[in-house]
Amino acid sequence: MKRPPVLMRVQIRGEERKFRLWLPLFLLLPLALVTLIILLPVILVAIVIVRVTGRGRRLSLVARTSLGILCSVRGIRAAFDVLCSMPGLRIDVCNNKERVYVSII
Amino acid sequence: MSENQKKILEMLATKKISVDEAYRLLNALKTETDAPEGGGGAGMTGKPKPKYLRVCVAPRRGHKHEGHEHEGHEREKHEHDEEAELVNVRVPMALIRSGMKFTSLLPSEARDKVNDALHEKGINLDMRNMKPEDLEEIIEALDDLEVNVVNEKEVVRVFVE
Repeated sequence: MKRPPVLMRVQIRGEERKFRLWLPLFLLLPLALVTLIILLPVILVAIVIVRVTGRGRRLSLVARTSLGILCSVRGIRAAFDVLCSMPGLRIDVCNNKERVYVSII
Repeated sequence: MSENQKKILEMLATKKISVDEAYRLLNALKTETDAPEGGGGAGMTGKPKPKYLRVCVAPRRGHKHEGHEHEGHEREKHEHDEEAELVNVRVPMALIRSGMKFTSLLPSEARDKVNDALHEKGINLDMRNMKPEDLEEIIEALDDLEVNVVNEKEVVRVFVE
C-alpha cells in the first residue's frame, strides 16, 4: 500500500560547516493539508477569476499548470501519487570537500 | 523427449487422462522447463520486480582512487583528485511511474516546449502520443536496462535493482 513519506533526512557537509536535519514529514503533511484547506477559498476565487475573465492566458506557463493541477481531481490525485511514491528516494552527491545527501523515508 | 513427457503420453495412451488434460500438463511442463532455475522471485519468469532505478557516478578504480564501504552504500576515498565527484541516486520505480503519469496533466503548450527541448537534445520522443500502456511498457523494459559508461576518470552506471 502506498503511504506518504514519513521522514526526510538532509545532510549538507561543507568545508567548515556540517548540517544534519531529520525532517518529520508526518508532522508537516497535516500542517500543509490544513494550510491548503484554509487557502482553498482563495484558490477557488482565483480559478473563477482566471477562467471567467480569461486572464489565464496572461499567466505564466508554470502558474497555469499549477492551477490546472489544483483545480482538477485528477491533478490532485496525481500529485498525491507522486508524493506517496517518494519514500525510498535517495540522492547523494559528494566530493572530498562537500557532500549533499537527501533521503526520503 | 523428457521422462515426464513420456509419462504424460503413456497416461494418454492408456486413457488415464483426456487429450485436454494431456495438453495442459505438457504446457505446464514446458513453462516449468522454460523458466530459469533458482529465480526465487515473483511471477512466471522468476525475476523479482525491480524497485529502484540507480544512477551512480564514481571515479574509475585504479585512477588515483581507492574504494571502501561506508554507511551501507558505495563511498570512495579520493587520494589525489580533489575534484572527483561521487554521485549516488536511487529513484523508486513507483516515482518514475507516477511522474510519467503526471506529464499527462501538462498543458499542451508545456508539452510542446518539453518536446522541443527533447528534440534539441536529439531525443525524438513525442509526449503527446504517450499512452498509459506505453508507459508501462517502457517501465517494464527498464528491467533489463544497464548502462555502463567508462571514461578515463569516471564510471557512470545506470541500472535497476
